[in-house]
Amino acid sequence: MSAEVMGKASRRLRATFALASVAFVAVLAVSPVKDYFREWKQYEKEYVRFAQTRPDTKHLLSDFHLGIDQIWLPDMNVVDRCTTCHQGITEVSLRGPSVSQPFRAHPLIPHGVKDWGCVICHRGQGPATEVAEAHETTLAWEQPLLRGSYIQASCGVCHREDIPETPKLNRGRRLLSELNCIGCHRMEGIERPAMLGPDLGSVGNKVSRAWLYKWLKEPHTVVDKDGNTVVNGYETGVEPRMPQFRLSEQEIVWLSAYLATLRRQPVETYNFDARVVAAMKNKPDLADQGEVRFRQMFCTTCHSLAVTRAGETRLIGGDIGPELTKVGSKVNGEWLVAWLHNPQGYLSHALMPRYQWSDADLYEVSQYMLTRLTDPDLLKDVPPLKDPDAGDMRRGQQQFLEKGCGSCHQVQAVSPQKDFGPDLSNIGGKNVSQLEFGNSRIPRSLVSYIRAKITEPLSVNTAARMPQYHLNPGDLDAITTALLSMTGSPSSRGLERLIIPQRHADFHPAGAFGKIYERYKCYVCHRFSGYGGTLAPDLSFEGSRAQRRWMIDFLKSPQTLRPTLTFRMPQFNMTNEEASIAADYLVMVTQSPSVDLNAVDTKQLTPEKAALGKQLYEVKYQCHSCHTIGASGGYVGPNLSNAGNWLNAAWIEEWLKNPQALVPGCIEPRRAFTQDEIDALTAYLSTLRMSNTPQETAAGGAR
Amino acid sequence: MKQRVFLCLVVLAMFTACGREPRNVAITTLEKAYDVEQDWNDQQRVIPLDYQQAQGKRIFYEKCIWCHADSTPAGPSNRSNLNPNPPLINDGTALNPLSDEFLQNIIALGGSAMGKSAMMPPWGKTLTQDEVLAVIAFIRAAAQPPYQPSARTKSQHPEK
Repeated sequence: MSAEVMGKASRRLRATFALASVAFVAVLAVSPVKDYFREWKQYEKEYVRFAQTRPDTKHLLSDFHLGIDQIWLPDMNVVDRCTTCHQGITEVSLRGPSVSQPFRAHPLIPHGVKDWGCVICHRGQGPATEVAEAHETTLAWEQPLLRGSYIQASCGVCHREDIPETPKLNRGRRLLSELNCIGCHRMEGIERPAMLGPDLGSVGNKVSRAWLYKWLKEPHTVVDKDGNTVVNGYETGVEPRMPQFRLSEQEIVWLSAYLATLRRQPVETYNFDARVVAAMKNKPDLADQGEVRFRQMFCTTCHSLAVTRAGETRLIGGDIGPELTKVGSKVNGEWLVAWLHNPQGYLSHALMPRYQWSDADLYEVSQYMLTRLTDPDLLKDVPPLKDPDAGDMRRGQQQFLEKGCGSCHQVQAVSPQKDFGPDLSNIGGKNVSQLEFGNSRIPRSLVSYIRAKITEPLSVNTAARMPQYHLNPGDLDAITTALLSMTGSPSSRGLERLIIPQRHADFHPAGAFGKIYERYKCYVCHRFSGYGGTLAPDLSFEGSRAQRRWMIDFLKSPQTLRPTLTFRMPQFNMTNEEASIAADYLVMVTQSPSVDLNAVDTKQLTPEKAALGKQLYEVKYQCHSCHTIGASGGYVGPNLSNAGNWLNAAWIEEWLKNPQALVPGCIEPRRAFTQDEIDALTAYLSTLRMSNTPQETAAGGAR
Repeated sequence: MKQRVFLCLVVLAMFTACGREPRNVAITTLEKAYDVEQDWNDQQRVIPLDYQQAQGKRIFYEKCIWCHADSTPAGPSNRSNLNPNPPLINDGTALNPLSDEFLQNIIALGGSAMGKSAMMPPWGKTLTQDEVLAVIAFIRAAAQPPYQPSARTKSQHPEK
């Protein structure tokens, strides 16, 4: 090799080396330059400039330093660098929409940012220092930020017991229970009702095959006389518990064939006294009388009827039991009478109380329901169904299992598949990569997945077995929130010690009162020591509140205490004996520890004090703005016209001192009465008495 | 050779320099709202509420609605029954001119303490101060015409 060639090679080598050095320096420089232009540094500089435009600059910059800011809470696994950019998050003067993000202060909440960090509630990625990584789903970080409208889900991660501050979460949890989601899905903290759907073991005795066909096709619709669907549970927000399954015509034919032949036990036919029937049968106003009794007994406290007023049809009444607008065209007459007489004879879990009926009432009411609550056109679009053969029935039973009907409805000799739907106890903690989006075009996030799954199950999975629900936007948000709160076992996140567990209450008295309690299903509406419904007043301390004599009268013939309530206590036609047993039990057992019934000497309640009390009631405190006495007064509190016969004097005293101590959350505000004023008001209220004779209604008499 | 080195450099530079552009995802106020209230006068409008306003809404629907609305969850309202007629809670014309301090006092101490009707009871022993402030925050959020905080309300946020 010549020197020339060598020299050329070495020049080339030197040139390459020089170039490489320059490139190397450039590459080395990239890193500091990039670091200088980091997103968070820009935000910090911007914050300084922003603070200088505010009147309280000095205060805003007192804690400020250049560099990553971080909230570190080792026992909660929190490493949040959000405050690096969200510099103003705890500054009271930066609250409100006039300050733009990222410097706006956090709205006022009970948990301070410094004590809890950000990701415990908002999820997202705490250690990230770039906007996109902190807020969105990326490949490396999988839980996107949860914003205000679903934030209550995070409350529910620890607060397993409902708290009043989270209405959306509470509603979502209630809907998950009411809509029977628990029938197919495993979920933690959602109560499983004693009965999801009715037991269908003898449904063939109750309804016709044509009705079953119609119901499977479009559950829960009320159609007006022109054929328009006017009240539809889906649209009015009264979501029917039976959702719409995607059934083909053939499947409906098979299912109706199978169900119509289910007759496990014969109808317990009720035999009316022939004389009663003979006397009433041809009365022209039989159905009208039945309607009057239907209303007097307050059936509408639990059942609704479609009522058309001013061209608008609405459902009026409660939703504990099914809607009854067309029940006469639905059920078999003999079955209806047997059901009204003894609901538990057909369905042991039924919530319907077992009324004490007189034959006359039972006949009238059943005739009203069978002749007036009807729709001759209800089944007109049902095609003629040929007699089912064994093959139809077998295929119907197969459909019953395949569609998951057995998860909510029991049928003897059919054992449903366990855990029909996927386990949802960790749905709120799922990462996007664990979700199947199918061919849908929705954004790849947990929230949009849950929403799509509920509104249109087929959109994310064409083989979905989940039925079609039609929820209004508010309910959809509520359910999504409740599902997002289910993040599985807390141990995986080191949060066990923060969990506030759900309380479980139970109240099932035994003995004579226990029988009455079960027969009349008191707990469906009333609450006893935390157990039972919330429709009617809490009776945990009823023995301290009400006098025994009044209780007996009320149980036998409930009067109106709160005139604005649409839902009233039904008239059960209790016997004297039953009413006495119930009153005795309530007086003995349901006593408040803070009310001593002997504490008030009724002799001390003199007419002078009563006169002063009347003055206080009418002038100084103007109690009549909320309470009615006689014919005048407000509707907010109960009617006090009979307070002297109704309430114990000791209860009135304690109530006036602090109503919320006796009934937490009651509306009446706590006042600063003096003891003399309390005595005077108690004396006055104790003088308010209406006639003490119990009202014996036609049917309420002794039996 | 040079070209190859250059190419390598370019690729390297691209690798190191390409960061993620922050994406501006439009987030509506409703998505950020803790709760919402339907505008009583306008079916089309929904009012976003923050945590405090949402708590005020809850307390309003428990305690106040009976006299300060024309329909209640239980049906009819007690409002028409009262003389003087209590203002509707969203009545901005009546409530916007009242200062936060005045509202706080009339809620906590009752009407008679503030020279108004004794029919308005005092809530100071039933609600905590935070709850009263929450109710006021809700009143401000629901007001029609909308509430414009005046200059003097700035003094409510004392510097730490």
